[in-house]
Amino acid sequence: MATINEKISEEIRAQARKLLEAKEVEAFLGYCQGSLPMTARPFVARTPEDTDKLVWNSFCVLNLANYLPALLKSLEPPRGPRDPAPEGPLPRAAILATGCWSRNIVIQIQENQVDRDRVVICGIASRGMVAQAKVKELFAGREILKVVEEDHKLLVSGKGFSEEINRWSVIRNNCLTCIHPDPVMFDVRIGEEGGQRKSDNRFADVEEIENKSAAQRRQWFEEEFASCIRCYACRNACPLCYCPTCFVDDAKPQWVGKSVDQVDTSIFHILRAYHCAGRCTDCGSCESVCPMGINMRILTKKLTSDVLNLYGSEAGLALDSPLPLTTFKQEDPQDFIITEQPADKGGE
Amino acid sequence: MNVYKFDEPGLAAWINKLLETVPVYCPAAKGEKCGTHPGWKKMTEVMLPGTGGPAGSSVKTFYFPQPEVLSTCSLKKNDDDGLLLKEPAPAAEKQVVFGVRPCDGRSVELNNLPYAEEKLFQQNRERTVLVGFSCSEPASTCFCQATGGSPYGTEGLDILISRQDDDFLVEILTDRGAEMAGEGLTPAPAAEITALEKLRAEATGSNENCDRLKNKDMAALYDAAFWNPLSESCLNCGVCTFLCPTCYCFDIQDEALHGKTRRIRYWDSCMFPLYTLHTTGHNPRGRKVQRVRNRFMHKLKNFPDRFGPLSCVGCGRCVVECPVNIDIREVVTDLLAVE
Amino acid sequence: MEPKKNWEPKIIAFLCTWCSYAGADLAGVSRFQYPPNIRIVKVPCSGRISPNLILNALNNGADGVLVSGCHPGDCHYISGNYFARRRFALFDNLLEFIGIEPGRVNFSWISASEGEQFAEVVKEVTAKVKKLGPATRLVKKINEAA
Ligand code: SF4
Ligand code: SF4
Ligand code: SF4
Ligand code: SF4
Repeated sequence: MATINEKISEEIRAQARKLLEAKEVEAFLGYCQGSLPMTARPFVARTPEDTDKLVWNSFCVLNLANYLPALLKSLEPPRGPRDPAPEGPLPRAAILATGCWSRNIVIQIQENQVDRDRVVICGIASRGMVAQAKVKELFAGREILKVVEEDHKLLVSGKGFSEEINRWSVIRNNCLTCIHPDPVMFDVRIGEEGGQRKSDNRFADVEEIENKSAAQRRQWFEEEFASCIRCYACRNACPLCYCPTCFVDDAKPQWVGKSVDQVDTSIFHILRAYHCAGRCTDCGSCESVCPMGINMRILTKKLTSDVLNLYGSEAGLALDSPLPLTTFKQEDPQDFIITEQPADKGGE
Repeated sequence: MNVYKFDEPGLAAWINKLLETVPVYCPAAKGEKCGTHPGWKKMTEVMLPGTGGPAGSSVKTFYFPQPEVLSTCSLKKNDDDGLLLKEPAPAAEKQVVFGVRPCDGRSVELNNLPYAEEKLFQQNRERTVLVGFSCSEPASTCFCQATGGSPYGTEGLDILISRQDDDFLVEILTDRGAEMAGEGLTPAPAAEITALEKLRAEATGSNENCDRLKNKDMAALYDAAFWNPLSESCLNCGVCTFLCPTCYCFDIQDEALHGKTRRIRYWDSCMFPLYTLHTTGHNPRGRKVQRVRNRFMHKLKNFPDRFGPLSCVGCGRCVVECPVNIDIREVVTDLLAVE
Repeated sequence: MEPKKNWEPKIIAFLCTWCSYAGADLAGVSRFQYPPNIRIVKVPCSGRISPNLILNALNNGADGVLVSGCHPGDCHYISGNYFARRRFALFDNLLEFIGIEPGRVNFSWISASEGEQFAEVVKEVTAKVKKLGPATRLVKKINEAA
């Protein structure tokens, strides 16, 4: 019997074929099979024949919205910087979107990076994606040569072993605490509706660090980011990062030093996270791509938790609710402002 | 050079003796906290590598440490050496890198081609002793043989250790290695050395891919149709180039802080748009497809044309860690198919 | 690290030109005494202050930072400080999260007529930073023995 993901893959291929044959879209952004176990490759289908390659599985960890602004731009007829915008509707693209990816598309639309009329969103309720690193850790010392996915298990095999593991036990951390697996906005639904998921305390990991002493937090931060090689995969995998010149690449002034100096790396990570404040959907793309196994996502999650606590909002849930940092309330909390604190002047 | 034989306790004792005299580095697990060399940790107790497959990070961090200070200067006029550029004292302290696979060893040899006359690289080379471990069972992503290497290869290494049943054959390959090895070791029996030589001869790779690529027309490869679809998913991150042992590009920058300046060298990646950005704002490699093509053309065509071998040792790191699974083995196949 | 004898902190104050800078001016004109540790950078609005600037100040050797703008409702640009308030709140929390000592980076509202309050705030911030000692975090060191 076909698994859920195989059925979804079938539907994706049919849908993509239909859209491309009808010339409704010029490109269909999805995933194709990777060359290694537990990999899937982002893939753009441009012809009906291409669509045969599309697949869906638990290893589609990179947020496809990451490619959307550039893909739409590449479909526009070429023009110089001063040329007027072309007349008439521009070519469209279709994209697969899970809960978090669809929220990132909402944000891209709100931030004028994506034109709603130019995308066909094919929504898929996410069943959670598998963290390759977790599986590899389970099989440390043994090379995994093949992973076959069933609905609730993974069959992992290699030279001289073949074992079954529970799929949910190796789900990515961000998926474990996700409460919006269903796409918030879509034109076509693929697969079954997902509904909301519950999470007892989705900010437990943030709280764990908040509860440490300042010295412990300092130590944690320095250790966590010590092995960063500044490859910027975390930045480049994030659909929020579309600035033509990133602050990291600015030379005049230079905000961040270039080497792997501890201070430079810290500043890079503070600012990267901060630029995602009130925009991050906790899609986990950044964490999934890090070659050094660094959990930089905790910083954006901390910001998400603060935004929720202080301003009661979450990014990208609806087109008409503004992003938290592009709006304000007069009564926003301000007890951190020293002139608003009860008078006990002269330090603590 | 000499070949010695150790049993496991003997090898452990030999390593322990090393640990007392020099800093020894060994591969760290993914996510494990490291010091100045990400992916490598100071060895504190004996641990032997498995049967095959490279460490997560390559040895290039020991040859191109970053930041590497090229010169320093005090900006305070009244200092004795105010406003005078000074070169730092050459690094001379010996260091041992343990558990290096033959692919990484070979990478040092390949990097030595363009860096033959580069002072700092040569200094680091002089002070670094690579203790290799041959791969009796290479990983499925390893393809050292297809690039001209071998899982029993000795190129670039100072010492190579090969498992032989429960024992270990230790080949001393250079003077640096001999110095580290010390004296009073048990020579290996001639028959076992012959067996190892035989294993090596059987496992030696071929330069066929390299030769075929060298014979292809540069322009035809450059214009191949597959670059566009290949590059489409690339993130232009630095994962492949920073993990790659044979990617050696750097950038130089002057830093001035708190009345001091220094000129540093640090890794750069041809995958970054900044790599080729001119001060005018023009970028000759402004598009992603151009950058992806450059990475592969440099490794598989330009470097061999200029220096002989491919600039890839087949370690497979970029294949494993690329977030979007861009696979250099497929690129080689695609390039070979270009007429 | 033990602060050197007679160590005096350097504090960068980013003041909005319409309120806080004018407040500082008033403090001067009215001869209110305040510690000479602050170095003022005039900015158009507190909404102009990005964390990049704050981190850059620390990285370049400031021991403390003060950011000050108009009281809510008084912004010359109507709402710059309201937007800034959200951003500062999050940034302040993020710094605390990674273990930066509270009190290194400070935020205040000071109007053009509050010369005395300006002097008070500078006293308070200087005292806090003095107590914390020289900044060591997010301060890049170069040319020290490797
Ligand atoms: S910061 Fe990370 S988790 Fe947040 S949207 Fe970007 S990639 Fe996703
Ligand atoms: S992906 Fe990982 S190693 Fe690369 S810059 Fe981000 S945190 Fe650092
Ligand atoms: S090929 Fe892969 S690892 Fe290299 S820059 Fe592209 S996405 Fe990153
Ligand atoms: S190109 Fe890839 S396989 Fe070749 S040496 Fe570099 S990291 Fe290893």
